[in-house]
Amino acid sequence: MDVFAGTTILELGAGAAGPVAMRYFADCGATVIRIESKARPDFLRTLKLTPGLKGGLDAAEHFAVLNVNKLSVALNMSTPEGVAVAKRLALWADAVAENFAPGAMKKWGLDYATLSNERADLVMISTCLNGATGPHRNYPGFGGQGSALSGFNHLTGWPDREPVGPYGTITDSLTPRYSALLLASALLHRRKTGQGQHIDLSQVEGGITCLTEALITWSANHEALGRIGNRARHAVPHGVFRCRDAADGRERWIAIAIHDDADWKKLVTAMGSPAWATDASLAAVAGRLARIGEVECHLEGWTRTQDARPLAETLQQAGVDATPVLDLGDLHDDPQLAHRRHFREVDHPVIGPHPAEMNGIAFSETPGDIRTPAPKLGQHTEHVLRGLLGMSADEYAALEQKGVLS
Amino acid sequence: MRGNLHGIRVLDLTTEPGHFATKLLGDLGADVVKVEPPGGDPVRRRGPFWGHADDPERSLVWLAYNTSKRGITLDVTKPRGRDLLLDLAGKFDVVIESFAPGTLAKLGLGWDDLRAKNPRLILCSLTPWGQTGPYAGWRGSDLTVVAMSGNLHCTGDPDRAPVRCSLPVAYYHSSIEAALGITFALIAREESGHGQHLDVAMLAAMIMPNIATASMFKTGGNRGLRAGAFFRQGISVQREIWPCKDGFVTFALRGGPARIPGLIAMVKFMDEHGMASPALKAMDWKTYNHNLLTQDEVDALSREFGAFFASKTMTELFTAAVERNLMLAPANTAREIHASEQLAFREFFVEVDHPGRGRLRYPGGFAKITSSDTDATAIGIRRPAPRIGEHTAEVLAEVGVTDAMLAELHHARVC
Repeated sequence: MDVFAGTTILELGAGAAGPVAMRYFADCGATVIRIESKARPDFLRTLKLTPGLKGGLDAAEHFAVLNVNKLSVALNMSTPEGVAVAKRLALWADAVAENFAPGAMKKWGLDYATLSNERADLVMISTCLNGATGPHRNYPGFGGQGSALSGFNHLTGWPDREPVGPYGTITDSLTPRYSALLLASALLHRRKTGQGQHIDLSQVEGGITCLTEALITWSANHEALGRIGNRARHAVPHGVFRCRDAADGRERWIAIAIHDDADWKKLVTAMGSPAWATDASLAAVAGRLARIGEVECHLEGWTRTQDARPLAETLQQAGVDATPVLDLGDLHDDPQLAHRRHFREVDHPVIGPHPAEMNGIAFSETPGDIRTPAPKLGQHTEHVLRGLLGMSADEYAALEQKGVLS
Repeated sequence: MRGNLHGIRVLDLTTEPGHFATKLLGDLGADVVKVEPPGGDPVRRRGPFWGHADDPERSLVWLAYNTSKRGITLDVTKPRGRDLLLDLAGKFDVVIESFAPGTLAKLGLGWDDLRAKNPRLILCSLTPWGQTGPYAGWRGSDLTVVAMSGNLHCTGDPDRAPVRCSLPVAYYHSSIEAALGITFALIAREESGHGQHLDVAMLAAMIMPNIATASMFKTGGNRGLRAGAFFRQGISVQREIWPCKDGFVTFALRGGPARIPGLIAMVKFMDEHGMASPALKAMDWKTYNHNLLTQDEVDALSREFGAFFASKTMTELFTAAVERNLMLAPANTAREIHASEQLAFREFFVEVDHPGRGRLRYPGGFAKITSSDTDATAIGIRRPAPRIGEHTAEVLAEVGVTDAMLAELHHARVC
């Protein structure tokens, strides 16, 4: 059984922050229809585009991984007919999701104020960098700016060096989750009350909300939390330590998180109780904090000659929170991710077979799945407009002839 | 104040990783009851503390992520605590927990026990690795989850260890994931009439932040690498986080239709300050492709942009960036975020009063919602984080605990 069987969502926008959100619904059975245009394609379709590329806009792998389970309708939004079709879809669908810059939807007459005049129970979500109002509303940006503005860049890296920022433009991965939560809560609310709503989600505000601890620490103590590398403020050792290199020369690392004095005791025993570690002054965290550099240095001396994964397994057996550091390739050999079937293969008409990712939730009754590869641009135009929206053959042919469906 | 989740009742048994999940549900209008062991949640003993006073009612990590909840104390490992929790579960829609897999079942509070009590109940289990599988018995926390996700491997300077964000992003990602999963299950229940068990694995939630690159390994073979404040583009590495006069800013030398206007505008801005060389001004941005630049070309560009940024403050650069669409952003600290004119305009921050302790300025609603009945869709902080056991009496009264019984439960350390 699918949670969203029979639910249709119209999606307009590009990149990760908007479209990944609708994957949650699509994976759980919703019909998610993307409006796309050949004249102004999603930038994920053009990241590695070169003039001779086989498959052109349909060969983009970033796009393919993030947009499985969706349908694509091609509409030329610079024509009034294209906008009119988009409006019919918006008023017909169960929800509308968009992540254009503020003003784009209004220009087309597809904004909430206009659409809700014709459909009072419309549910719509808009997600842009800074939100739909305020002096910075029109300031454009990608996830790199979102990560910087919301505080993640400042907080990632070493205290004695410049910030490095988190890998993967973090607001692009937080925003889809917020967006799916908000849209689902709005659909539940409409189901119970019949009331629609418009949600204006600022990617920066979502990021800042995560960092509430840093924001109220400033308010409380006028103290700006900073970068502390991999250390914890109240536990030692807590870090990432070099292990023996892999056979092919790749660096290998282990993460070890000691949370309290009982954990420390387990680690000391697992290390075979070396003299440096059995020093009584290190038994309590205050003593380890005072000599943190020395403790880390000794520990790395011990990990450096061992293989990361077996060492982590030994430490876990001893009850210590420790894991190897995996690279993007290792994930495909990881038995836990395999157990959850996290990566599932689809066969894309241009790219061929490739994995795509499930989310972090395993539902006992409504499991969801990856069923179809990402759409080619406009692959489902006829299916959606004729089959689902019920457009006549004559009207469809006329639109096609005018170049509206491209 | 109602909200989209008005009428939904959530019993929160989580520790630190799940605190943010139920804060979000509470901000959407759910009635959330935080269940703490007698003496309080362990994070209450962690700093930083408000006013540097080592006090469980002043732990900022507790206060940050437990707003919009009521709080009770209950020792569910004792038989009477367990029975009271089962009685409460009969009156709630959702139970969320973050114990090691199997812990609740051993206490007689497993999924089968809970659903026998309340077939409409939704149980959400939030753990590092998931309820089953080879790592189900492993310990885990933010650092080790991020280490296993591929994300840590790709973050940091190449000459040092991989590095995490100094605040626990795995908990934030997974908490939002849990909250949205619960909301999906509430929708499913409208049709089916019964609840279900959600197994949320932080590891699985942390793969998506790699933004497709984990899956793309299978076709491209890229295992990821640490490039510090730089980014690998084509055949060169290009700086993306730059020192300025009083901090750091992000700015990319990347091209493409969305970014080139920003590069052109930046060069014009630099020229107005006499800091654009003839060579930079002569650049043909129409044919510019960052993927084709040699490292020498990148370095020459970087020297000019870098010298200019170093001569300006974060505020000077960002003010100009907003006026001129320069595609630049400051690496804000809490100080700059509190001072933002954009956030002030949107009334993003709210003052939350903590009885007996004072007021703190919080991030408010995590979105703006417009509807014909704004009270029915209200979003934002409902109440400050609870004090230890603040609502024990009123919540346990719902399952028949009288004042006299409560005194006895306190005495027996059940509450």
